Amino acid sequence: MAANFWTSSHYKHLLDQEDVDMVNPLDKEKGITLEDFKLIKMHMANYILKLAQQVKVRQRVVATAITYMRRVYTRKSMTEYDPRLVAPTCLYLASKAEESTVQARLLVFYIKKLYTDDKYRYEIKDILEMEMKILEALNYYLVVYHPYRSLSPLLQDAGLNDLNMTQLTWGFVNDTYKMDLILVHPPHLIALACIYIASVLREKDTTAWFEELRVDMNVVKNISMEILDFYESNRMFTDERINSALQKLSLRP
Amino acid sequence: MGDGSGSRWSRAEWVQQYDLLGKIGEGTYGLVFLARTKSPVGTPSKSIAIKKFKQSKDGDGVSPTAIREIMLLREITHENVVKLVNVHINHADMSLYLAFDYAEHDLYEIIRHHRDKLNHSINQYTVKSLLWQLLNGLSYLHSNWMIHRDLKPSNILVMGEGEEHGVVKIADFGLARIYQAPLKPLSDNGVVVTIWYRAPELLLGAKHYTSAVDMWAMGCIFAELLTLKPLFQGAEVKATSNPFQLDQLDKIFKVLGHPTLEKWPSLASLPHWQQDVQHIQGHKYDNAGLYNVVHLSPKSPAYDLLSKMLEYDPRKRLTAAQALEHEYFKIEPLPGRNALVPCQLGEKIVNYPTRPVDTTTDLEGTTNLPPSQTVNAVSGSMPGPHGSNRSVPRPMNVVGMQRLPPQAMAAYNLSSQAAMGDGMNPGDISKHRGVPQAHQPQQLRRKEQMGMPGYPAQQKSRRL
Repeated sequence: MAANFWTSSHYKHLLDQEDVDMVNPLDKEKGITLEDFKLIKMHMANYILKLAQQVKVRQRVVATAITYMRRVYTRKSMTEYDPRLVAPTCLYLASKAEESTVQARLLVFYIKKLYTDDKYRYEIKDILEMEMKILEALNYYLVVYHPYRSLSPLLQDAGLNDLNMTQLTWGFVNDTYKMDLILVHPPHLIALACIYIASVLREKDTTAWFEELRVDMNVVKNISMEILDFYESNRMFTDERINSALQKLSLRP
Repeated sequence: MGDGSGSRWSRAEWVQQYDLLGKIGEGTYGLVFLARTKSPVGTPSKSIAIKKFKQSKDGDGVSPTAIREIMLLREITHENVVKLVNVHINHADMSLYLAFDYAEHDLYEIIRHHRDKLNHSINQYTVKSLLWQLLNGLSYLHSNWMIHRDLKPSNILVMGEGEEHGVVKIADFGLARIYQAPLKPLSDNGVVVTIWYRAPELLLGAKHYTSAVDMWAMGCIFAELLTLKPLFQGAEVKATSNPFQLDQLDKIFKVLGHPTLEKWPSLASLPHWQQDVQHIQGHKYDNAGLYNVVHLSPKSPAYDLLSKMLEYDPRKRLTAAQALEHEYFKIEPLPGRNALVPCQLGEKIVNYPTRPVDTTTDLEGTTNLPPSQTVNAVSGSMPGPHGSNRSVPRPMNVVGMQRLPPQAMAAYNLSSQAAMGDGMNPGDISKHRGVPQAHQPQQLRRKEQMGMPGYPAQQKSRRL
């Protein structure tokens, strides 16, 4: 990994929001809207998390897996790459990349335990085949920087490293993976946005501290607003709507 | 980068980019083939080493070794690190192929050639140039938070004829890892580093790696370049995942004497220290003296450098960056970019043997000639520059000798690192942002002590 985020492949391949929000023409043909697209990705992020809790891997593996999944769909369609297979395969690949290898048969076992729906029930062979397709889709760029890495030093520097603030900001960072922020913004800015929200919520005055940092506060505030908007609209993400979006993928054009 | 379809190798699209010459090696990971790129007439073709990875033993897809190697090599570009040129997949048999720039030689073969065939030592200029370039590559890796973990002569390649003649390339990143504190315990990964080159802290059961393990291996390699035989040639115990390697420790202590808590304060906290107390400390180690073994004067800069690389305490062990600044590299003969050119103009050129090529093995690993290859009807060899009997040494053209004065060292170092991270921009992902200049608009400005690993504003100690 580059010692320096700014020279890494992660930095070079950051995208603009409009690129991330582009629904693949094949998916559009199936009637997938931008809202459906976001819903499916969020659902798959939750699926990865559920599966990860079963196989007991650390948060970093989950974050890398979700990032892989989101990167895949900036280049491939959900029609060709079924999210219900891509999600567990990304977890499988991330476990290897992050040196916490999970066996494919264990994943398959827990998939069957978690979902009775046949559409989720893929076999080991399917995961192994999809692993190679995902490697290609990612163009073999597997390094991901995460906000977690800079969170502790930043909190410490701001004098906010008590347990309460640490847990709160960590939770916010976890939730950012339900959005596409990691594909668009440098991870330390995402971490700063989470600290900003937490400090406002806990009524901590961090104005002077933020002013001392050479960062564009407009960007930090914009990221914060995106996170808050997500929480605002989160109530509308019902299972019904998610199933309806996934149903469209199953339809023939 | 990478594609692959078709059931047999001859039908996989990506294979059409190459002329396969044959198999040049195999290891636990799989097979290595030599190929040449197909180029339009008039443009030179390149020799490529294609590493085919076996499926994981447990049928668990792409091996984690391959994943790790791809992951790291996609991020780095340095003159003294092997270049990953391409990745290919054959979906039909789910095999993965990594294509690298081909290096004709490696230190294992160079050392063996001097020991068994020539029966004389490697000249000072070559030793110094090999070592300097090796340290240069290692310093780059360490400054990029990578530990190689498996440095040994066979993993250090040296380029053959061409514009990079005599340039050292660190290879085989299958055990390499990124180190961001805290590292996973050693026991979670299984022990790494071939035993003869394994640092004493690992042999004594240390749970965490630092980049110092690579520097111990470097010291062992330096000594081997000087004496043509492994410095600490212990017999490996393979009972458990991390057994007590009594014989290897014994070999080290015979040369360097027994470590003491005074010299290495954290020694007592190492898991195998108690076993060491029982099995080893009772032995009398009359310190043979490293200088006797490597035949160096204790006052020589070479000895000083070597002894600092073989410091017991990993925290006191010289770093790669410090080693590059050592006096040894500032005195004649100065190290150069082409490590294989002779030291004096009148000195004899060493023709190192080229790798033998098994021309009967195809990319599947089956022993039959690939249908797309024509066999030279007269000699029965493969066409092109790798024809004829490959085990016979071929004469090498001496490329104009390049020497580096001390003040040029820094420039050499900088220029070779300038392209970092930019080497393999994929064709199909557009660059949305270029690498920023010295001042990042989004970069944190102050407080060196903040220690945000990965961000340029802070300088963080590379030792954990």
